[in-house]
Amino acid sequence: MNKKLLSGPYILWMAGFTIIPLALIVYYGMTDRTGAFTMENLMAIATAEHAKALWLSLGLSLIATALCLLLAYPLAMILRLKGNRGGGFIVFIFILPMWMNFLLRTLAWQTLLEKGGVINGILSFLHLPPQNLINTPAAIILGMVYNFMPFMVLPVYNVLSKIDDNTINAAKDLGANSLQTFWHILLPLSIPGIISGINMVFVPALTTFVISNLLGGSKILLVGNVIEQEFTKGSNWHLGSGLSLVLMVFILISMALIAKYDKNGEGTAF
Amino acid sequence: MMKQTQKSLKQFVSNFYLVLILIFLYAPIMTMMVLSFNTSKSRTQWGGFTLNWYRQMLSDPNIVSALYNTLLIAFISAFAACIIGTAAAIAIESMKPVSRTVILGITNIPMLNADIVTGISLMLAFIAFGISLGFKTILISHITFNIPYVILSVMPKLKQTSKSTYEAALDLGASPVYAFFKVVFPDIMPGVLSGFLLAFTMSLDDFIITHFTRGAGINTLSTLIYSQVRRGIQPSMYALSSVIFLAVLILLLITNYKPKERKQIPGMAPSNSASSAPSGPERNRFDQIQKGAMAAAAVAIVLSVGFITIKKYTAADSNELYVYNWGEYIDEEVVSMFEEETGIHVTYDMFETNEEMYPVIEAGAVMYDVVCPSDYMIQKMMENNLLAEINFDNIPNISQINPVYMEMSKSFDPQNRYSVPYCWGTVGILYNTKRLAELGVAAPESWNDLWDPALSGEILMQDSVRDAFMVALKGLNYSMNTTELSQLQEAKQLLIDQKPLVQAYVIDQVRDKMIGGEAAVGVIYSGEMLYIQEEAETLGLDYQLEYVIPKEGTNLWLDSWVIPSNAANKENAEKWINFLCRPEIALRNFEYITYPTPNQGAFELLEPEIQENKAVFPDIQSLENSEVYRYLGEEDDAVYNSLWKEVKSR
Amino acid sequence: MNQPLIDLQHISKHYDNTMVLDDLSLTVKENSFVTLLGPSGCGKTTTLRIIGGFETPDTGKVIFNGTDITSLPPNKRSLNTVFQKYALFTHMTIAENIAFGLKIKNKPKAYIDDKIKYALKLVNLDGYEHRSVESLSGGQQQRIAIARAIVNEPRLLLLDEPLGALDLKLRQDMQYELIRLKNELGITFIYVTHDQEEALTMSDTIVVMNQGYIQQMGSPESIYNEPENAFVADFIGDSNIVPGIMLRDELVEIFGAKFTCVDKGFGTNRPVDVVIRPEDIDLVEPGQGILGGTVTHLIFKGVHYEMEVTTPDGYEWLVHSTDLFPVGKKVDIRVDPFDIQIMNKPASEDEEAIGVNE
Repeated sequence: MNKKLLSGPYILWMAGFTIIPLALIVYYGMTDRTGAFTMENLMAIATAEHAKALWLSLGLSLIATALCLLLAYPLAMILRLKGNRGGGFIVFIFILPMWMNFLLRTLAWQTLLEKGGVINGILSFLHLPPQNLINTPAAIILGMVYNFMPFMVLPVYNVLSKIDDNTINAAKDLGANSLQTFWHILLPLSIPGIISGINMVFVPALTTFVISNLLGGSKILLVGNVIEQEFTKGSNWHLGSGLSLVLMVFILISMALIAKYDKNGEGTAF
Repeated sequence: MMKQTQKSLKQFVSNFYLVLILIFLYAPIMTMMVLSFNTSKSRTQWGGFTLNWYRQMLSDPNIVSALYNTLLIAFISAFAACIIGTAAAIAIESMKPVSRTVILGITNIPMLNADIVTGISLMLAFIAFGISLGFKTILISHITFNIPYVILSVMPKLKQTSKSTYEAALDLGASPVYAFFKVVFPDIMPGVLSGFLLAFTMSLDDFIITHFTRGAGINTLSTLIYSQVRRGIQPSMYALSSVIFLAVLILLLITNYKPKERKQIPGMAPSNSASSAPSGPERNRFDQIQKGAMAAAAVAIVLSVGFITIKKYTAADSNELYVYNWGEYIDEEVVSMFEEETGIHVTYDMFETNEEMYPVIEAGAVMYDVVCPSDYMIQKMMENNLLAEINFDNIPNISQINPVYMEMSKSFDPQNRYSVPYCWGTVGILYNTKRLAELGVAAPESWNDLWDPALSGEILMQDSVRDAFMVALKGLNYSMNTTELSQLQEAKQLLIDQKPLVQAYVIDQVRDKMIGGEAAVGVIYSGEMLYIQEEAETLGLDYQLEYVIPKEGTNLWLDSWVIPSNAANKENAEKWINFLCRPEIALRNFEYITYPTPNQGAFELLEPEIQENKAVFPDIQSLENSEVYRYLGEEDDAVYNSLWKEVKSR
Repeated sequence: MNQPLIDLQHISKHYDNTMVLDDLSLTVKENSFVTLLGPSGCGKTTTLRIIGGFETPDTGKVIFNGTDITSLPPNKRSLNTVFQKYALFTHMTIAENIAFGLKIKNKPKAYIDDKIKYALKLVNLDGYEHRSVESLSGGQQQRIAIARAIVNEPRLLLLDEPLGALDLKLRQDMQYELIRLKNELGITFIYVTHDQEEALTMSDTIVVMNQGYIQQMGSPESIYNEPENAFVADFIGDSNIVPGIMLRDELVEIFGAKFTCVDKGFGTNRPVDVVIRPEDIDLVEPGQGILGGTVTHLIFKGVHYEMEVTTPDGYEWLVHSTDLFPVGKKVDIRVDPFDIQIMNKPASEDEEAIGVNE
């Protein structure tokens, strides 16, 4: 029996439900309502409101990605030191909350962040001035960090947990202090995980429309909101597809980065 | 000794950090759990402790069917993904490097691609293939994004599996299939199981892809919640989520902590043991994931089986009716009463906006028999020949509708041939008397009062093009149906000027936010008033919420029942409309929805106190300057949309 | 040269509830090759890690060249370690690996380059500077790990089972290589292994450890020929360890037969353990020896025959001999007096672990 035949169903499936659908996006994105070829839908990204939405999305998602990395890296290091209990911890910390619906979790942040919300309640209890938290870019970033951090922690933890303790000991033995060990050994060795994590956070953050709706009070229009509205409200699927194609550029960059830095798939999240 | 204290300090800092992260991740979950015991539906007011929502959650057919769909889709998609993915992983493992790279590249697409693009592309494909959106399209989509998780969990296990055990099995006379299942499969089982767990969880947690690929008429928990966001989440949703969450937590705790962990080899530091048993910690970790997977699967199976038995299967017969209505826009009892009385089986679906409903009807992916759009949308559907004329002979109860509203309908349905009014109302300003007094601002009388800088951060605007422009246009004393570009530009500029003052653009959340005292003023649909006043009373709020229709006039709106031209059960649809026009039924619905009813018979059954509540039933004659939305045509719609986008992106 | 390079004083260490090292004291002289030998879990690696600074002892002191370094972190200690499985930095080239320690110390580039060349030559891998770690075989990686350590000119090199992952032939080659390196560099080696042959081949001094205690310390010859207790006798080479009674000085009774030996001072009629190496037993025709028995097992081992001789009391003696005695043949056993090693019987298991040091 040829083992390769086993991939038949998968290849058919991916062709039918990944490749063809993407081809359709390309088709829609490059035609107008009459079906004629046009670049207008792609060029539409340059109009003031779209460009602004894209810039804002890029800015917020970059900040969110950086924050995720800053929060996740120490966490992954701590979990790594916990040895085999670290894996169990991850299940508890990150997989379990996913059983509470994503929308509900995000909505709960509304309750926490609102003017009369829990956090301001605590602040006033401590006689501190109330803060305007909800409906700000910061609230959107928080939502992104909250929802996407698992996708940073898992790959980073994965590469870190594969590093032999003795590799670190060897660096110390050769005279490196903790900072030097981190900089010369741990960080370079965890690059595949970091790259994979950045992708897994950056792409969904860049394209989210739910988080900006729920935590941004719809005041802040991200590129995801524009596309969603073109499909559900504006009914201009061609424009929506065109803008999606523009987003695909960033996804292609992601894939290229992964191919470059994570050749062996060490950094895959799961 | 110094090193010891340093070490314990380090330990303390790292534990402290873990606790912080735990708080960050679990604070929202705790919040949800607390809210599940809250008597009030409001997310910001504590109305007292109750277990009602837990009782209610299983009696709400929407929630039950959404839960059933969610679990079934998660289970089937994870299972199918495991089969396809494991087979693919085995094949990929034996491939040449080049083809392996290509296949793994494609595998990465659904994982790296933006959910929104995946969702949209699948939706386009389903429409292109002529697959009507529904349960199976969600399932296909979930399988598609789940396969990569399985492949990526199985591949590393396959790499670890030594080829020689498989060959040893063959050598001992096993057939390749037997050898695979007896020798290779047990080795990769942990990978398959953790893939299953991940796939199951991802499917459960997905919203975006489901949002685009679900047909009308089918909800998962995610999409049901999203549809409720605007009207306010049913707290039974919190209750249900808490139950699911706790069940999984308990199962995880049991499976993780019951068997005592094996003792480490005496005298071996953890790092040393790496040499003697490289698979030790690795295996342990997978054990845990494996246990987690089994726990999850157990919950899923128990819950699914439970709900399959709970869910009532009504035998589908030819006597069908497909209803497409706004969310929370009917007393569920009424549907059952209709079914009982007529023997017609009703399939009831919900939409959230007119704009969301329109393409569904236009595409005819699901053939609805009766729909309840708003005024201007009815006009658009009519102009695009999407509506069938109603045979009023089948609707004798039309006489119950106050002729004033039939007259009002003429602005979009000039000959009263296509629509039967269901609910109506006005749009006005809701204000918090106490908050305004604190800010030193007088009660609003005009739309222009929403531009008062003193109200900075205190204004809630409607998040829809026409409603937002209505506010600005009316404030300028223009028609809210204007297509004059100069007037629209003026209105756009006004909205841009207002934006810094606006706290948020929301739809039905105005209600909860105002009750919660989040803002001083909010633009609101009058239908919410009765609920707001009742809720304010039961919560014992120390502020009053008043409603005013600004003097420049407002939007008079009307939601009416129409029958799409492709309806398959037109007569049943007419029976439905006739049934809803019955005074006692209309009364029931009014009491549930609290939006003003155009049904004179029902109105007369109301208590005088409510009849005279001007916030709910304003005198139509007093609304001289008010208008009903008209459909402006595609081009002008596009102008409105692009101007609105300019406002929003500022 | 009188001052020891390493002086471990009363070191104790436990993990969770397990004692790993109990009041261990050990001195290592400059320029010696000391091997810590013992089964896994005996505490030898922990001892090495305490010297390296990767573990802190619960009690006791580590004195390095007269200075207390007990709480000094590893990066401040002027000694280097060659790790089990090498622990090379896979993201760096060979040259970068070797240069790591020197770069940390901010040595000039020319100096570093020279050192890399020198070290590679020393380990017979000239020209491998720009290769990646993954492209090397296990033995080559091992040499790089050594090169990486020695370019830092440590006074003491710690080697933690460095040859454990290599195959037999390569291991033997590397043993000679290590001896050569040691002699060329003139630095002190502390070497950890569980392989007695390795220990016997390379060391000046062997420290046999078990259950956290030093069992015996001495030259390879003394460890092999004069094991101080049953554990050492059993762990180093093959042994016949039989119960005996020390009748008086220089006379021991084994299974009823009287053997002359050279040991004194055990008193009279005292039960003892007797160690006799298999190669020290001479098989002779019946009547010519001291104890009679039958050959019950025979294997040809190349250099010699391995035989089992069962004596009437049921004990199976292991005998190595170049003379062939077929299975079933009646033989007598004879042992030269200086080949008999007498040991006190341990009173309890604990005492067995502690050995005769106490």
